[in-house]
Amino acid sequence: MNSITADIDTANDKKVANNILLEKKLPGDLAMWFFILAELSVFAIFFIGFAVAEHLHADMFAQSKAQVHPIAGLINTLALITSSFAVALSLQAMHQNNAKLAVRRIIYALLIACIYLVVKVWEYQTLFNQGFDIETNTFFTLYFLITFFHLMHVLLGMVILIYIAKNAAQGNYEHSDKPSVDALESDNQNTIAGFESGACYWHMVDMLWIVLFPLVYVI
Amino acid sequence: MITVVQQFKAWLLLVILTILSVLLGSFFNLKIANHSLFIILVMAIVVLKGQQIIGVFMELSCAPKKWYMLLLSYIIIVPSVIAFIYIW
Repeated sequence: MNSITADIDTANDKKVANNILLEKKLPGDLAMWFFILAELSVFAIFFIGFAVAEHLHADMFAQSKAQVHPIAGLINTLALITSSFAVALSLQAMHQNNAKLAVRRIIYALLIACIYLVVKVWEYQTLFNQGFDIETNTFFTLYFLITFFHLMHVLLGMVILIYIAKNAAQGNYEHSDKPSVDALESDNQNTIAGFESGACYWHMVDMLWIVLFPLVYVI
Repeated sequence: MITVVQQFKAWLLLVILTILSVLLGSFFNLKIANHSLFIILVMAIVVLKGQQIIGVFMELSCAPKKWYMLLLSYIIIVPSVIAFIYIW
């Protein structure tokens, strides 16, 4: 009788464990998502402000946009997309408890992100050499303000990626292959939440550029 | 659970859409395309790209639906407002 009861308990435990594993959960920490939402809101105001300014000064924006380099914008977009892909693959490696591979992929993501930094600095340098700066006109004020603000976010994202790569290399995100039901139900069930938060921040930086790129270089 | 194959497809789609938007910009500069249509197409590309990043890279398609919808609404509403301003 006791053996039958024990079997039922084990079956129930497995069922609960499976349900918990299949349950949809938000990747990363909730606090990071509120931070991401706040960042997105600030950039939304910038984007809409840029569009309104262009609507009001269409000719000046058209002339000024002829001075920026669409190929530089294209290279930067491809760099950020590819870097984001590398971070997504890195998270896949973390899901498989392969921290070594995850760290390697984060390093690839950082190296690709460096392409963005180099191109952006070259772009600023070229514009400065041509005599354009933040005071030239409304377009360049908004251009330098928004792209530099985004650049700061790229740098912060890179610092976060270095931090999570360091933690992963030190084994701080490792978890047991056979989690117990109690462990799964506890608040600390997600041992890679910090890694997921860092990865999602990087994807947010990429997503912001996805909106910014056509505003400045395409339209 | 998002797979590596899904992520690769998303990356490929993002690259193709990025190049497509640059080509659209070139066509528009040659005055071949209608302005309103051009703006709508470019912003539709932004929405598609954002959807890939939110759903596949951020893995929010496997997250609670309200969070997925919240982020998705951002990438739909902001480009729509921008398109409205340019067309208006």
